[in-house]
Amino acid sequence: MTLSSRLKKLALCTALAAGLVATAGSAQAAGKHKIFLSMSFIGNDWQAEAANMVKAMAAHKSLADKVDLQVQVAGPNAQRQIQQINAMVQAGAEAIVIFPISPTALNQVVKNACDKGVKVFAYDAEITEPCAYNISIDQEEAGRVTAEWLVKKLDGKGDIVLVTGVPGTSVDNLRTKAAKEVFAKHPDIKIVGEAVGMWSQAVARTELSKITATRNWDTISGLWMQAGCYTANAMQLEAGKTAEQLLPCAGEGSNGGRIQMLPAGTEVESAAAPYAPIGAPRISYASPPYSGGLALKLAVQALEGKDVPKKTVLPLPVVTNDTVKLCKEGTWQEMKDGCNAFLPSLVSNPGWFASIFSPETPEIGLNAALVGQPEN
Amino acid sequence: MSMAAAAPSSPVRRLLATHRGVAVAAAVFLILIAVVDLISAGPLTYFDISFLASGGATSALAAIGQTIVILSGGFDLSAGAVISLVNAVLARSMDPMNMEANVLLWTLVGMGIGMTTGAVNGFFIAVLRLQPIVVTLSTMFIIQGVTLLVMDKPGGFVSPSLGTFYLGDAIPGWLPMPIALIGVVLLAWAWLKNTRLGTAIYAVGSDADAAAAVGVSTVLTRFLVYVIAGGCYGLAGVFISAQTGSGDPLVGNPLLLSMFAAVVVGGTRLGGGRGGPLGSAIGAYVLMIVVNILLVLNVSAYYSTIAEATILILAVLAGSISRTSTLAQQLRVLGTRLGARRAGTLVSQLRQDDQRLAIAKTRKTVEAAAKPSFLTRNAEILRYALPAYVCFIIVILVTQAWLGGAILNPGYWNSLIVLSSFLAILALGQGTVILTGGLDLSVPWTIGLCGILLAGMVKGSDVALIYALPLVLLLACFIGLINGLGIVFLGLSPIVMTLATNGLLQGAALLYSNGTPDGFSSPMLRWFMTGKIWIFTPVVLFMVLFVIFAVTLLGRTAFGRRVYGIGNGIRAAELSGIAVGRTLVFVYMLSALCSGLVGVLLTGFSGQASLGMGDDYLLPSIAVVVVGGALITGGRGHYLGMLGGVLLLTGLQTFLAGTTLPYATRAILFGLVVLGAVVALRDRRN
Repeated sequence: MTLSSRLKKLALCTALAAGLVATAGSAQAAGKHKIFLSMSFIGNDWQAEAANMVKAMAAHKSLADKVDLQVQVAGPNAQRQIQQINAMVQAGAEAIVIFPISPTALNQVVKNACDKGVKVFAYDAEITEPCAYNISIDQEEAGRVTAEWLVKKLDGKGDIVLVTGVPGTSVDNLRTKAAKEVFAKHPDIKIVGEAVGMWSQAVARTELSKITATRNWDTISGLWMQAGCYTANAMQLEAGKTAEQLLPCAGEGSNGGRIQMLPAGTEVESAAAPYAPIGAPRISYASPPYSGGLALKLAVQALEGKDVPKKTVLPLPVVTNDTVKLCKEGTWQEMKDGCNAFLPSLVSNPGWFASIFSPETPEIGLNAALVGQPEN
Repeated sequence: MSMAAAAPSSPVRRLLATHRGVAVAAAVFLILIAVVDLISAGPLTYFDISFLASGGATSALAAIGQTIVILSGGFDLSAGAVISLVNAVLARSMDPMNMEANVLLWTLVGMGIGMTTGAVNGFFIAVLRLQPIVVTLSTMFIIQGVTLLVMDKPGGFVSPSLGTFYLGDAIPGWLPMPIALIGVVLLAWAWLKNTRLGTAIYAVGSDADAAAAVGVSTVLTRFLVYVIAGGCYGLAGVFISAQTGSGDPLVGNPLLLSMFAAVVVGGTRLGGGRGGPLGSAIGAYVLMIVVNILLVLNVSAYYSTIAEATILILAVLAGSISRTSTLAQQLRVLGTRLGARRAGTLVSQLRQDDQRLAIAKTRKTVEAAAKPSFLTRNAEILRYALPAYVCFIIVILVTQAWLGGAILNPGYWNSLIVLSSFLAILALGQGTVILTGGLDLSVPWTIGLCGILLAGMVKGSDVALIYALPLVLLLACFIGLINGLGIVFLGLSPIVMTLATNGLLQGAALLYSNGTPDGFSSPMLRWFMTGKIWIFTPVVLFMVLFVIFAVTLLGRTAFGRRVYGIGNGIRAAELSGIAVGRTLVFVYMLSALCSGLVGVLLTGFSGQASLGMGDDYLLPSIAVVVVGGALITGGRGHYLGMLGGVLLLTGLQTFLAGTTLPYATRAILFGLVVLGAVVALRDRRN
């Protein structure tokens, strides 16, 4: 290649690099582990929160000079994530932290990455390829525990409505199946409606509106939802029910739902109905968004030669009316002392996921989840 | 002299001119790959190329199939679903003990499944003459349902022998198998193109009537096109099965939109008659390599959709730069106008007073002909609008019989109208765009961005709503203005422009909200969507006014007449003095305004705004318009028909949500009902 053509190419390259980014140069920082995050679509509160916690973990003083983290988005497209992981391996990744779009479609590419010595860590959802490290909750346990709570709350009798997640995914399948097995054991529990909630409060509202178009709230005695209890409570209040008449709801760990669980009359700064304490009968569980941060931490440990188990099953974060407790500031220490709901003045989005505490991750607290700032 | 110099280069030029799209796509691809090569750590090796080859192969194969459909003037929304189905069937039926499954046999199985679904599409589209977009939308739902019946969660097993074959090398060290596979498919197309069928495909896509007049069997051509395309999707499904080694019932669905982008980047004209699969295959690789570019440049996640949208627009613009391009024409027209203004010969500068010759009034008055009856006058509207209403009534009756509490329950009607309101508003915007022969794909993130901005500004205060609402709607108009200008002045096809705008808006929404939108709707807005005046929610009363407004706008105003005029023939509209460009810009502004309004109402309905809140409204907004009797190519349709489509779809979904049928069955039923509704809409044979 002649000098002039090289110069031309170099000029092109610098122009492009300067035009698009400023950080490309820092990628080769010496002595740092090159780690990539391949997340799924970012059009979703949970995903954004988890990504913030990964970034906060990387910025924490214990890791900041060990880790060079780059974040990429694959969208909802598994094919794209395959390509992305390949590109990451090519770019010299030492470890890749993944929110896997599909538990199976990535197997080949993950195996290929492992073969090249790259550590692959999947958070929240699983990758079935044996060489990958998985960090997630037991989805079947989540379905079973919440269903059992609801059955107990209803004394084993009543008509219930289910709102499920995204059909065709393993997570939804495992949770729903486990819950239905529990309900099947109680012949007096009847499932009278089943809607696809796509793990979204907004979809839960449209689906519940459709169900209640032909069915009065009074004919339903309980709700089992993967996301949407906050919305369901709001809808019942709109329909003229009082806080005491709210149906028991087994569902997600959104902060709005947690605030509603606090006994009515609790002093809460800048609360406004329906994002306010009403003593709603609830069990609240979640796939915790800190799993991404923990995955990064474990990835660094693995790179440093420590022994990390292939499968980390996170304890299922469960909060009921008996255990719900308001946080004042949301530091990790405060959460360690048992608080699990955040002031609306701190978290303005009620759909925000409140299960961010893990004893394993003192590096990240509320600010990590909100804005990607680590604890001191 | 100049003649002599130009003569030898003219065949080359002609070749370049006819294959400009492919040439530009190839050039873009080469530039991108050079960028990757330069910026990434090491030089590109055969190994990297082989990775790239397999990464883009599924999209490329599917895009080839889609291109053939588009060349014939069709449209296929079921492509992604077919890929998932093939993947699920293969992973479900292969024997996990058999590591050496027969590659040829399973490839044929996959292609056979694809061709069968293609034959179903082809039957409804070619033989029953239904509109491709709504047939394939229905089959998409049906196939997705069937896929979930085959496999309800990811899993299964695909023999490694498929992977070894399809991801291996055709010539070790020189030619990766995926490239060879795409090459074989393209060679097959090159052969087909020169047969009678190949000519017929281009002929039907260019002008179906002309093709029929010269003796081309349009029915057979259209039918075969969908079968061939189905084969390509089947092959893509086999490839992704080989690549992933297992099954996932959702794997192919997200490929759909990028498939259209690949076709467009590859220089094929949407609407038919021009382009070819080679460009689309290259287009698919262009889109795939963007992933690598974003990675090596470390572009922030929030900017990735913006970067993609920019590449899409630039690639398409580059493909159309020439003296005859719309941009060049618009510039010339602008120059002429300026010249005319200076010379004082512009029409608006001439004398405006009445200059008709005075004609003496004749004495004889003609007897006014008897006014034709209402039925005669509105026969066409009724014929196309009624089927949706008939089906809607059936759905209501079934709901009453199955679930009870429908017909005599005011709460049911109230819920139905509240839930319909979003689609009914979108139907006006999308419907008007479709009446002009366009399509607005920027609906999802116009809804999303407007909702997020409104919630962010309002933060629960009714006072803030007073200024936030007009501001947000103004922004929506601005979005529409951008769409309109891109389509009219840059000459981009509506699908490309609005798809790109959608990406830009998504980036904007992410940047504004920093990933988690905050804020919530004010009490008044919430009351508007969920409160009660007597037994009705306020929005129900608003919808009554909205429907009157929509019917008047399209049926009784000059604007409405211009819209129909453009849809019936853009040339004829121009010649009859319609300001086509200006009208089109207004049409896209109307559509964006409707989307913005839906964003506001959804925020009120849910109490807050969320990212992706508009995603579920794109395909339904198109479906209701077509189910309501509008012609996707423009010029025919009535708002009341579209409203019938909205009621039918919402009523059907409400019924299905009330049952405890599994999701797979619901998806299949939904597809069947939509298909059944449009069978009644089919065009009569001439």
